[in-house]
Amino acid sequence: MSSEEAARLYSAFVGQDPASAIQVIERVRSSGVAQDQLFDTLYVPALSLLAGAWASGEIDEITFTQASVVAEQIGSFVMPPVARADTGVTLVLGTMHRDRHSVMKDIVASALKESGYRVNDLGVDVRPADFLERLEETGSRIVLVFAETMATARAVTRVREMFASAGRDDAVILVAGGPFTADTALARSVGVNGVITGAESALRVLARIREDILGGDAS
Amino acid sequence: MSVQRSSQVLASEQFARQDQLPAAVAACYEAIAIADRDPLAHVLLGHLMLAGDFYDEAIAASTQAIELDPDCAPAYLTLGLAYDRRGGMWDQSVLVWHELAEVAPDLVTAHVQLGEAFAAAAFEEESVDSWKRALELDPKEARAHYNLAIAALKREGMSTALPTFRVAGALDPSQDELFFALLGLPNDDSAIDLSFGKPERQARLISAGTLARSEDFFGATDVLRLMLDENPADADALAIAAYVYLKQEAAHEAMACALRALSFSPDLPTALYTLGVVYSRFPGLATHAARVFVALAKAAPYHSMTHVLLAESLLGLQRFGQAKRAYGAAVRLDPACVRARFGLAAVHLTEGSYAEAQWEMRRAAYYDTKRHGLFWRLYDEYVAGGAV
Repeated sequence: MSSEEAARLYSAFVGQDPASAIQVIERVRSSGVAQDQLFDTLYVPALSLLAGAWASGEIDEITFTQASVVAEQIGSFVMPPVARADTGVTLVLGTMHRDRHSVMKDIVASALKESGYRVNDLGVDVRPADFLERLEETGSRIVLVFAETMATARAVTRVREMFASAGRDDAVILVAGGPFTADTALARSVGVNGVITGAESALRVLARIREDILGGDAS
Repeated sequence: MSVQRSSQVLASEQFARQDQLPAAVAACYEAIAIADRDPLAHVLLGHLMLAGDFYDEAIAASTQAIELDPDCAPAYLTLGLAYDRRGGMWDQSVLVWHELAEVAPDLVTAHVQLGEAFAAAAFEEESVDSWKRALELDPKEARAHYNLAIAALKREGMSTALPTFRVAGALDPSQDELFFALLGLPNDDSAIDLSFGKPERQARLISAGTLARSEDFFGATDVLRLMLDENPADADALAIAAYVYLKQEAAHEAMACALRALSFSPDLPTALYTLGVVYSRFPGLATHAARVFVALAKAAPYHSMTHVLLAESLLGLQRFGQAKRAYGAAVRLDPACVRARFGLAAVHLTEGSYAEAQWEMRRAAYYDTKRHGLFWRLYDEYVAGGAV
């Protein structure tokens, strides 16, 4: 991609010709420039040329504004994609039976969804059997159980027992919540694979599971 | 009808306004010794005890003032703040803020505080209603927006909360003030002609900045035109032009001018600021915004707001740990930065640290009411009218 293409895009802006602007973008894209590079390699230099023309008096205020409208119209063609790519990894999450705390669960679920995970949120007050049922339905191998009281944190052992009785020892059970953060031995005692301490920790642990256990496979 | 004040109360008031707390407390006790049924002396004592972090004493004095005069609005304020800051007294706190909202229905802060007390007591719907009521009274009430952002975070996560944080941020005058500070304009230049005696370019730059601050955007553009006619590569002028366009919601013109300015001066803080703010309006440019705000925080590390802007862009990228560090830097530079306190609260919530989040929001409330001088406003109105 040369600066000539940026100059052509600039000319399309000034000429108030969105069709030509899109043609320039498509030409550059077909030359091998990735979508997430178009903004920096093409759009930014064209906008800089536009402001330069206005600053030097080459174009007047009205032309500058009209050209900017065209730049805005075709902006979506050069913007980097908003959503992160689908990881293909499905996981089931929910708050343990007799526990109605939802804040941490909702924040973590939202962060995971935004990062491309397929999240099955079972809500609060979820029985161990419901975790297993959804695991079977979705074909997922990862369960994230939230518990914010000591009693419900200890009860997570019932989820592990339920999975074992159904022959799902391959499932990865992760836990989150105050009791597990405060007492690191608690997670081991209830037989789970790991502890999540927050949204960023969830993203980190899930990325590692994806690489180490699932080997990048979608499941 | 105005309330009569004893000479001891007047002395205490004067000392308190000058932050001479020991002398003010001594005068207050003198006033109470002479007339122990004077609500003014008790409310002043409550305020002074709160300032000294003696919460139980503040609660006792404020309660006494309310018993002596149930319309004593400043006493509700000190009592509510004392309950909130002492912690663990949310039921009493809800009652007090409710009372204040009834005594002074147009007092926006009463509704904001009531919402915060409801939220602390886990009455989520009631808290949202209170903040919405506050916004009906004043659509620019930033703390109500920040609280709504936190409520959205709790329900739907960061992607829903972040736009509300940005709305609140845009209403926050300290963000615009950052631009003018980066430009080198002092906080209040209304009475001083800063351009006097400066070389012509510098004088024009100051003039354009001053006009932009007073929102005379056409005037600012005229001055900038003169500068750009002389030198179209004047990065400072282009950066101010970018800001002027930004304030007129012309995002693409602003982006173009800021990019042009940075092509001549890659580290120019004013251009970095405007470009970062424009980028942060486009969800697809979150990474770009973070990159620009990193450069801005490096170029202007002594402004707390540069770290806040960086932190918010990092929240958009789900880099909560880095955002926490950036917010931490902002709070160290300016402990009264309400926006940074709420941002830190949001990060704490993503880590499941609810108590820390509550603490940050309580500090934000403390600094916000202090910054607005709310106690003295209510006190003066009470003295002038007997009741608000």
